[in-house]
Amino acid sequence: MSESSSAPAAPTATARKVRLCLWCVVAVIIELGLYLSYRGHDARFHWFTHFFVGSAVALLVMSAVALHNRRPVPVPLVWPVLGHLYAMFPDLLFSAGHVAHQRWMDVFLGHITTHFVPGRNLTWYVAFLAATAVYLGALHRLRSRER
Amino acid sequence: MVAVGFGALLVVARSAEGPLDDPDPAYQRPGLVDLGALPKPAPPVTGDVPAPGREAVVFFVRPDGLQPLCDAVAAVDFGGEPDLVVVVAGPAGSCAGDLPVVANPAGRLAEGYGLREPADGGSPVGYAVVDAAGQIRYRTLDPEVDDLLSEVDTILRAV
Repeated sequence: MSESSSAPAAPTATARKVRLCLWCVVAVIIELGLYLSYRGHDARFHWFTHFFVGSAVALLVMSAVALHNRRPVPVPLVWPVLGHLYAMFPDLLFSAGHVAHQRWMDVFLGHITTHFVPGRNLTWYVAFLAATAVYLGALHRLRSRER
Repeated sequence: MVAVGFGALLVVARSAEGPLDDPDPAYQRPGLVDLGALPKPAPPVTGDVPAPGREAVVFFVRPDGLQPLCDAVAAVDFGGEPDLVVVVAGPAGSCAGDLPVVANPAGRLAEGYGLREPADGGSPVGYAVVDAAGQIRYRTLDPEVDDLLSEVDTILRAV
């Protein structure tokens, strides 16, 4: 039951700094809260549509900005959240302000018509994956330039 | 990995849809009046509904959903005081208060109002909103309508 005094110390090379990414946590909490809110209103379908559309647009904008500035965008998880919030804004008006949807609300990243595309949310999921690939490609290109 | 996780979440959420939900969720509670073929004239439900110059909400329920709907509607104060009527896909029932209940076992009224068929293929559970000109302006399946009557009020403000 005795401890060996000659036990090797943990190698310092493996000691990593754990840095709290506050904005990552905030972004995840916001999305989790939004999802639970939509689920509470029996409206998960709508959460997915606006999340995929808003995030896909945000990822494309992030790619363009990153390539233009020749460096990754700051706080990357926040951009998709902002895109999502913009795309879902009419839902906030609906639930909080009792304002029914209207056709002009398509200015919010196609808030009305995006629900009716063929394939529905599967289509937007594919678009989200494609936009993610574009963003990762942009990051890869930036890193290739640095070498 | 995160992107794949969203795909898995999408599949899980889709499988969580219930038997009374619309097979195409885009048409369930769209929040938009005059969607698709609307507006269109509303068939009469009773001798008084729809009435010229008065908005109306026509609820469609199955027999086991009648009492919960009656209780929920009794607790809500709709602005504008629309006419309210419940169509039951079964034998006639009754609601406490003055809420009229119409038996419609064959479901012809739901068909006349153009309500979509739910996932289980049975009678639709939802509602339609009729404007003061007697036109159907909104219709949707909504198995959770008891808890979401504030949405009915929002649509009434829009017609």
